[in-house]
Amino acid sequence: MLNILVCVKQVPDVDLVKMDPVTGSLIREGVPAILNPLDGNAMEAAVRVKEQYGATITAITMGPPAAEAVLRECLSVGADRAVLITDRAFKDADTLATSYVVAKAAEEFGPYDLIFCGKETLDGATGQMGAQLAERFGSALVTSASRILEIDEAADTLVTEREMETGIETVQARIPCLFTIEKTNYQPRIPNFKGKKAARFAEIVTRTASTIPGLDPSRIGAVGSGTIVPRTYPPERGESGVMIDEGSAERNGAKIVEILAETGLI
Amino acid sequence: MKEFNSVSPEIAAQLAAVVGERRFYMGDRVREDYTHDEMPIYGKHMPECVCEVESTEEVSAILKICNDNRIPVTPRGAGTSLTGACVPLHGGVVVCTERMNKILGYDLDNMAVHVQPGVLLQDLAADAEAHGLMYPPDPGSKTSTVGGNVATNAGGMRAVKYGVTRDYVLALTVVLASGEVMHLGKTVCKTSTGYSLLHLMVGSEGTLGIITEMTLKLVPQPGMNVSVLLPFFDMETCIATVPKIKMANLDPQSIEFMGADIVESSSSFSGKKIFPTVVNKKDVGASILVTFVGETEDELYEKMEKLDALGQTCGAIDTLVVDTPTLKKEVWTARSAFLTAIESDTKYMDELDVVVPVDKIASYLMFVHDVGEEYGLTVRNFGHAGDGNLHIYACSNDLEFDEFWRRNKLLMQRCYTECARIGGQLSGEHGIGHAKKEYLEESVGEVPLRMMQAIKAVFDPNGILNPGKVVS
Amino acid sequence: MEKSAYKNMWVYIEHDGKRAHPVGLELCCEVRKLCDVTGDKLVAVLVEGLPEEELAKIRACGIDQLLVVSGTGYEAYSNDAYSNLFTVLCRKYNPSAVFVGGTINGRDFAPRFAARLNTGCTSDATELVYNPESGDIEFIEPAVGGKMMAVITVPVLRPQVGTIRPGTFRYEPTGEKPAVEVLHETVDFPVADIRTKLLGFVPDDADADLDLANTDVIVCLGNGLSGPDKLPKYRELAALLGGKIACTRPLFDRGILPFKLQIGQSGVMVKPKLYIGFGISGAINHTAGFAGSGLSIAVNTDPEAPIFGAVDYGIVGDMDEVCDAMLAALKAR
Repeated sequence: MLNILVCVKQVPDVDLVKMDPVTGSLIREGVPAILNPLDGNAMEAAVRVKEQYGATITAITMGPPAAEAVLRECLSVGADRAVLITDRAFKDADTLATSYVVAKAAEEFGPYDLIFCGKETLDGATGQMGAQLAERFGSALVTSASRILEIDEAADTLVTEREMETGIETVQARIPCLFTIEKTNYQPRIPNFKGKKAARFAEIVTRTASTIPGLDPSRIGAVGSGTIVPRTYPPERGESGVMIDEGSAERNGAKIVEILAETGLI
Repeated sequence: MKEFNSVSPEIAAQLAAVVGERRFYMGDRVREDYTHDEMPIYGKHMPECVCEVESTEEVSAILKICNDNRIPVTPRGAGTSLTGACVPLHGGVVVCTERMNKILGYDLDNMAVHVQPGVLLQDLAADAEAHGLMYPPDPGSKTSTVGGNVATNAGGMRAVKYGVTRDYVLALTVVLASGEVMHLGKTVCKTSTGYSLLHLMVGSEGTLGIITEMTLKLVPQPGMNVSVLLPFFDMETCIATVPKIKMANLDPQSIEFMGADIVESSSSFSGKKIFPTVVNKKDVGASILVTFVGETEDELYEKMEKLDALGQTCGAIDTLVVDTPTLKKEVWTARSAFLTAIESDTKYMDELDVVVPVDKIASYLMFVHDVGEEYGLTVRNFGHAGDGNLHIYACSNDLEFDEFWRRNKLLMQRCYTECARIGGQLSGEHGIGHAKKEYLEESVGEVPLRMMQAIKAVFDPNGILNPGKVVS
Repeated sequence: MEKSAYKNMWVYIEHDGKRAHPVGLELCCEVRKLCDVTGDKLVAVLVEGLPEEELAKIRACGIDQLLVVSGTGYEAYSNDAYSNLFTVLCRKYNPSAVFVGGTINGRDFAPRFAARLNTGCTSDATELVYNPESGDIEFIEPAVGGKMMAVITVPVLRPQVGTIRPGTFRYEPTGEKPAVEVLHETVDFPVADIRTKLLGFVPDDADADLDLANTDVIVCLGNGLSGPDKLPKYRELAALLGGKIACTRPLFDRGILPFKLQIGQSGVMVKPKLYIGFGISGAINHTAGFAGSGLSIAVNTDPEAPIFGAVDYGIVGDMDEVCDAMLAALKAR
């Protein structure tokens, strides 16, 4: 039976994040924290593999205690085990430190045949976690995977499609393999009540900096990060362009066409 | 038919003096928008002029001028009606309330809000929520004005639990055709104080007076909500479950149903398969979406548990839980876009907004589908299963308009006759306007119609208010 | 780690044996400016096999060195061979920074070799600034869905690795330097150790409408679009103007237009001669996607929409009405 790891993240619904016009800081209050959408696609891909080939799925996340909500989502649609990595010591970790910690914590339930990540997150959007986790696990990597075509457990190989800029690649990869999943073919299913109910009070394995065996404290959190964010600032709103107001949509539209003609664009 | 006068330059000057030149539009300055509502298929009609009003006084002055000069007046909010109700059939003056969009104040102790009629439903909903309150009526068009909602007694999905717009109107300021201003109702919980003119105004579609201020009832914002999707093999089994859900004392906020065809349109429209077409390897023919509100998760789980058990005995394939922010957003965005999805793949369409007894939903839908087949029209439907209000669309992509319209008229007549026969009513929430006028008598009966006409004559003896609509 | 021991800035030139991917050239032009400030050498790194006329284009971007790699394992792209290649090269040469075009394959291997080298990796910066005090490059990019700008640095570790989206910077060659040094390296990666194998490639339907990179006129649609039923008029407008339609992320999310038409930091970066945005609020991650366009115009109902701060001309009004009016005016000409 395949052993599968699904790596997920709880993110703020960035579309609803607003910026305080005075302080320039982000207002996250009242913004729902959600399962990163592409991680939902990754979870769906894992569940479909489980349905077809049989598998044990471990879902893992790193975040504040409240992040267990996204793990329960994973449990409700087919994860067998959920691991929450939470500790203030992991704060301000970039992908370098996060991939190290996640891989270390996941070892306990490994080794894994397949590892699923979303292609990127809604908030950080670096898209680096998949590649860096693959490095930590020493696995093959298929990024932007859009469809898993077949898994040959006997030969330890699988075939998958990859959504490229100009077309679809078909790629054969060796197991163990890490995928970063595209949303195209893996719309997350709606969980059923039975799954929700079971997930509601299911045990969540919680790991902290002191309960992950062999963790090197110099490689976690801000200290273990390669990148830092020394400052942020509100996007500058440029000088407003010339506002066209000729009194009606008809005249405004005609005015644009006039401007285009004057500038030689038509 | 009453004889009306047109807007002469002198009258135009008087009207312009009331609202000021900037808010007075005549001739070329009148936008094409004013010639139709969201069902342009019922015909376009140009007003002679448009007055964007800002106060009760202005409306009063305009109505006085128009009444004295026998000039038709059509009140208009955001123009989202579906029956031609805000279309100026006889030209004349359009009184547009869109600028009267202020929320005037809250009476938090009595849970009431005082608003102008041009406030958009979505703005009132959001503002009430910010006050920890909820305005329960939620008709589909969130960009409609609350004044328009009151004028049509709009419903919406939450009607199953909370009732319709009428149930939330505490007081109104109304300008009569004569220009007289009338205050109806008070911020009280009940009343037995003479004939309820207040309730006569609600749903009168601008034929008895123009609403210029409203006091609306609010309820505390529920702490949380969850939606549950029950997929079924076919529509009959699906609909048969609805009365049982209502009997189970689960107090759902809404019960919506959707057929497989709508789900397909919706997913090809949005590019996302939100509502499943296959569940547990079984094809889904129809689904119902039940929404519960509550204060604690335990409370909601208890209701879901009961619904799950009920679903199993009623033949539901599974019980799917929509409770994460993402799923809720996706499911309700898809549900709200059903009509747009139909419109996007349809050339011509007309709609029914009938309301039938809940136990007759399935058989009535079957009837309409059969009639549609007979006339070569595609019938699409979805709607509020919980209250029997059905939105059924007769569509065609390949007929020429005249032929579509001829067949559509035959279909509509048959469907309305059947609706009356099984104890239903012509309109659940969209109103009569002019599009459904010819079917009104069959739905309500001859004597009631005569009473309605008599009432109209008392309120508006010259027939200047929204002529050609409802009973005039 | 002694940062001063790490010198020179590298740009990886991705190519298919016939042509260099434009992003490599764009990066050479931009990183040239950084090197002029820091005194580092600009090194273009590529696997052998690019024709001379393409190499000339790279030289024209003002590079100081060309590092040409040969060896086994590079015939087709693979994560294993390329991650190894850059690990080996970086360990030998100690570059201060490595820039990789943010193509799907660039984003596939850059974070991996960065992790193997235990260094920091940034992605999708839209601006690069050298900070002489710290000696670090500031990678500046829109963050949290464009609600704010974030400055990201690699303060301790080296090399500073960054992937940059194609189209972010302009290809403006400053001219070939008199003496471009050419270095050759051989790094063999055993073919048998490559764990992924390309079995096939099916190009997307040759839909020219989906290729925004070289389009002069873009009619871009935002979340203000009420539904797909309104698309035809904008397609018509784009056609009349000799251009193509594009969209912002919400329209892609709504499934109305494909990802390849999404303009912005996480989509396609464009610089057309004319950009007209309809119903777009103008989050920075979108506006960064068309910065540097010729003429830009926006139509939005909200006079406060940030988009108006990013364009040359603005109209407050209903997008469909303005589009209709433009169609009428264009047809009347």
